[in-house]
Amino acid sequence: MSKQAKKKANWGVSYGEMVSHEFVKSKLNVVCLVFIVFLFAVAVLAPFLANDKPFVIRIDGQLHFPVFKSLRASDYCIFLAAIVGIVQLLLIRRNRRRVDPSIRGAVLWRQICISSSIIFVGVILIFVFVPRRLDATDYKAMVASGRASGAVFAPIPYGYARTDLKSREQPPSREHWLGTDDVGSDVLCRLIYGSRISLSVGFVAVGISSVIGIAVGAILGYFGGKVDFIGMRIVEMMMAIPVFFLIITIVAFFPRSLLNIMIIIGITSWTGDARFIRAEFFKLRKQDFVQAAVSLGLPLRSILFRHMLPNGIAPVLVNATFGIAGAIFIEAALSFLGFGVAPPTPSWGQMLSLGVSTTGRFLWWLTLFPGLAIFFTVMAYNLVGEALRDALDPKLRIQ
Amino acid sequence: MNDNQTLLSVENVSTHFFTEDGVARAVQDVSFSIKKAKTFALVGESGCGKSVTALSIMRLIPTPPGQIVGGNIVFEGRNLLTLSEKQIRQVRGNRIAMIFQEPMTSLNPVYTVGNQIVEAIRLHQKKSIRDAWKDAAETLRKVGIADPEQRVSEYPHQMSGGMRQRVMIAMAVSCEPRLLIADEPTTALDVTIQAQILDLLDELQKQNGMSILLITHDLGVVAERADDVAVMYASRIVEVADSQKLFAEPLHPYTQGLLKSLPRLGLSAKRLQTISGTVPDPLHFPGGCKFHPRCCVGCSDKRCQTVEPRLMEVRSGRHVACWYAKGYEEK
Ligand SMILES: Nc1ncnc2c1ncn2[C@@H]1O[C@H](COP(=O)(O)OP(=O)(O)OP(=O)(O)O)[C@@H](O)[C@H]1O
Ligand SMILES: [Mg+2]
Repeated sequence: MSKQAKKKANWGVSYGEMVSHEFVKSKLNVVCLVFIVFLFAVAVLAPFLANDKPFVIRIDGQLHFPVFKSLRASDYCIFLAAIVGIVQLLLIRRNRRRVDPSIRGAVLWRQICISSSIIFVGVILIFVFVPRRLDATDYKAMVASGRASGAVFAPIPYGYARTDLKSREQPPSREHWLGTDDVGSDVLCRLIYGSRISLSVGFVAVGISSVIGIAVGAILGYFGGKVDFIGMRIVEMMMAIPVFFLIITIVAFFPRSLLNIMIIIGITSWTGDARFIRAEFFKLRKQDFVQAAVSLGLPLRSILFRHMLPNGIAPVLVNATFGIAGAIFIEAALSFLGFGVAPPTPSWGQMLSLGVSTTGRFLWWLTLFPGLAIFFTVMAYNLVGEALRDALDPKLRIQ
Repeated sequence: MNDNQTLLSVENVSTHFFTEDGVARAVQDVSFSIKKAKTFALVGESGCGKSVTALSIMRLIPTPPGQIVGGNIVFEGRNLLTLSEKQIRQVRGNRIAMIFQEPMTSLNPVYTVGNQIVEAIRLHQKKSIRDAWKDAAETLRKVGIADPEQRVSEYPHQMSGGMRQRVMIAMAVSCEPRLLIADEPTTALDVTIQAQILDLLDELQKQNGMSILLITHDLGVVAERADDVAVMYASRIVEVADSQKLFAEPLHPYTQGLLKSLPRLGLSAKRLQTISGTVPDPLHFPGGCKFHPRCCVGCSDKRCQTVEPRLMEVRSGRHVACWYAKGYEEK
């Protein structure tokens, strides 16, 4: 045993550590996880990967930094959230090694409070102070005409909203690695920005559905009896509705916005979570440690969410991973059918639908690349879900 | 019955379960009182309602299907049955604590034992986290766990059954309750550990003067440790007495049967006696005295078959519910 492992053993091995140990045993799981992290990085760094504004440019002898000027408030919010998130993860790692277990919970709680308040305040400040700018300067033309020099462009020097009717529907080439679409936008660039849509739909929708599902399931499972009977009938009614068609119907009535799609997917797909949590709470309610917690005089809130929920969360975690894949898929399908986000906002499903052009030509690159993106993302989440389900196997749950 | 020496008095408490198959009268008209700093034992066969009695005192009966249908439970001058949910929460864990039969499953697997003890301490006492952790380690030392500073940060699955039961006890006594309810605290443990745990309870009782309600079906344990005993049969208490008197002269035929089935040193040549028949199902109790189908004294008596005897004082300090007990008469 290595020195570090020994030290950890002294501090006790938590359930979480055992699960993560089990999870990384398989190479495939790690590959999927790395792929998901990669997707995140791409989504966060999109403006630096694909942008028609140069990082630096010298115009009339003066240095300009157009990329940074053209960043919008939402970009800054994403950066802030990503940085705080990474710092928080590093802190958790550090806590595990440096902080005495006795105060670890309190320390973690404080860190999370600080992080979320930083994000909260930061987002408000960003929206107040970052002006809305529209930089329509064509820097490439300036470089070509010799007015500007020393320009450093992003690897993919196109904006996602750029239209260029001269280079419409071009197959992959040196200039456009994955070709262009019907209005001449670069496909790779739109794929990169599209990952933002897919990931945020996945996470926000699943976040909404998990919260609703957990709350409903916890109450039904803990109280049982009449509450449970009535609640379950409502859940069953929700389940009997074909969700996809419900979503299409609702979307037809509401304005096409990303937020609406997230909320609609979220509030229509919580039934699975509710049923899982209910079943778990049914079992847990009779467990001795729950009885013991009640006999200590703990309030209901603490019993439900501090003592029962962590023991019954496993199936919801697994379901959430599948849920993210599902939400990404639903968003793609909606966009494919034209109910998704409105152009020019890029979305994978919407790009897919451009595969057959108005002139009837089959543009294979517009079908293949977004299709692959959807395929790999959904598959990665599904595989992680499977792996998580195996790692969370109750056999592991210690006796 | 209420005087300065009484900590808890249970008066005519009945608890029923209203199930689909009918009403299970799990506890009927049960009365007893527990003195300060004494150990009170509740004995009886499996299913006779011991745990339900204990849970009724803590107001932990799952409702529905269960309900405490009558009686009073007076603890420190207050009737626990009329307290609000908030008030009873301040009694639970703080004034009355409980330990359960199954130490393997009584601790939450996702938190360290220290976390769980600290939660119990901080729930009822205003203490900083650091102080509470020191207290937790101190309590663990008190219950005889070696190297407590180390052990506080371990998870339950890293401990043996005996150690977990010690942790349970540590959690229960961390707020210095006046009454500790121990529902078969040693049934799941092996014999040597059983004695250690019971010794520990004795020790803690001497230190902080709490009363113990010890639920068990081990009469040997009762003879050794209890000050007072109540014998329960089919949801009623059939005999209550000082433990020495009870063992010297059992009055109820059921108690007599139980004592005869107790193995004794020196008498090992003879086969142990058993009480014939089985405990009746609480959904289908026999009429009259519930013990009469198994009783060797009154099985053919008309009165035993039709009228149920109540618990009566037959002489000073001896309560019994049997038509045939000497000095028993319905008042
Ligand atoms: N939740 C419940 N629902 C319905 N009936 C119940 C419930 N809990 C207990 N009972 C009834 O109460 C009776 C007494 O149960 P209790 O648990 O008090 O027995 P016990 O004396 O503690 O037995 P043991 O020695 O096995 O622990 C049981 O026979 C059962 O029929
Ligand atoms: Mg019991």
